[in-house]
Amino acid sequence: MTIADTPPQPHRIHERYLELAVPGASFGATLAGILAWQLGYEINFQFFAVGCLIASCVLAYLAWIRPKKDIVALSTPIYGVIFFVVPTEYTVGVIMQLVYAVSLTILLIRLKVRFGKPGTAAAMGRKLADPLLTYVDQTRDAFAGITPETAHEAAVVFVQFTHGEYRHAAQRAGAQTGDGEHAATLVRAFAVIKEHAVLIDKSLCRPVVYEVFRLEDSALLAHPHPPAYDDDREFYAALDNALLLLFSVAWNYSEADRPHLLACQAFVLKLLD
Amino acid sequence: MKIGKVEVKVSIIAIAVFAFFTLLLIVASYYSPVVRSQLIWLIPGLFMLLVIPIALNYMSRSQYADLEPVYEASAKTVRIKMINMGMVGKAVRIEGVVEQIHFQFLNRPQYTVADRSGAISVKMFTTPNEDVKVNDIVEVLGQVIQRYVVTGDPVVNCISIRKKIKNND
Repeated sequence: MTIADTPPQPHRIHERYLELAVPGASFGATLAGILAWQLGYEINFQFFAVGCLIASCVLAYLAWIRPKKDIVALSTPIYGVIFFVVPTEYTVGVIMQLVYAVSLTILLIRLKVRFGKPGTAAAMGRKLADPLLTYVDQTRDAFAGITPETAHEAAVVFVQFTHGEYRHAAQRAGAQTGDGEHAATLVRAFAVIKEHAVLIDKSLCRPVVYEVFRLEDSALLAHPHPPAYDDDREFYAALDNALLLLFSVAWNYSEADRPHLLACQAFVLKLLD
Repeated sequence: MKIGKVEVKVSIIAIAVFAFFTLLLIVASYYSPVVRSQLIWLIPGLFMLLVIPIALNYMSRSQYADLEPVYEASAKTVRIKMINMGMVGKAVRIEGVVEQIHFQFLNRPQYTVADRSGAISVKMFTTPNEDVKVNDIVEVLGQVIQRYVVTGDPVVNCISIRKKIKNND
């Protein structure tokens, strides 16, 4: 089966219906109102604005489920209430509702073009994204002998560093001795994080001699070959590698910490990029 | 214009609004005796269109001036790549090149600042002390916030933006 043959996922179909509901509800209710008046049922035309209000809420929901938020689409329900709370005559009501329905349709197109697809489970923080999952799977067996305590410490140091708690991260990372088959690599990862955390906390510059991984660690690193000609890149690549390594260890061997790690996923994906 | 130690800048929008309503008032008072009889209220009202933005700008700039030493002492120097949702509320210092500037005419400039690790939006809710331009290398002090207060990507709420190297344009 090729990608083209793959049937659309249920949530995608659900989103497609919601996208169709935006012009459908807004134009549909207004046209229903026009039809009712043509047939002699002169109902207050303001009631037919409910279609525009529903369409606004659907559009706001579609904006909300995207990782990149569109403030204009998100605020359309407020404008819907402001525009349609006041009773209007038939002609004014028809014009306002049709113009509003056109605006919502334009905003829907803008949302789809400029703000990407609705968030995947990974982007919304419910599971690991593919590149990260691959790295985490690749490094799982290498740390098979690690204790849950060390894995939890890896999670704590990672989360503290990510949250900008540099002093605490440095203190905690400095106390780690590592265990398991690749204990030395893990200790180096903690040492790299400690060094960077201390430097950031004290607002110090990069030292001439700094902590890096060794050649034998390469198989476990996400970025194994930083350019040797560029000290800055080598220095920061070591930090990215160390953070990714701690994330992998924590993810694989400290399941209780996974919700905290998932919350940092967007940041980890930047490190992996 | 300087009030005390604070350099106050009025946005071009506020000046345009004042100019528009001044013109409207002149024309209306020329043609309408009713408007002429109300000038005692209308003229102070007109000047309030300038006074209120000036007062607001003075207050925000003096507040920012007070905050600057606090951030100077507490902000951590980080690479832009390190800024993430977990750092919301943290004081940071970043250095980078200004790639884009939006909304400068509203006195609410929004800069895109980039370093070798990435780029980030830097929002300022008042006028900066220095006239920052695209390609200037700047140092930004600020707090990490979410773009839309409770949602959106992390951005820097700028307290101070200073040029380190001026561009040659």
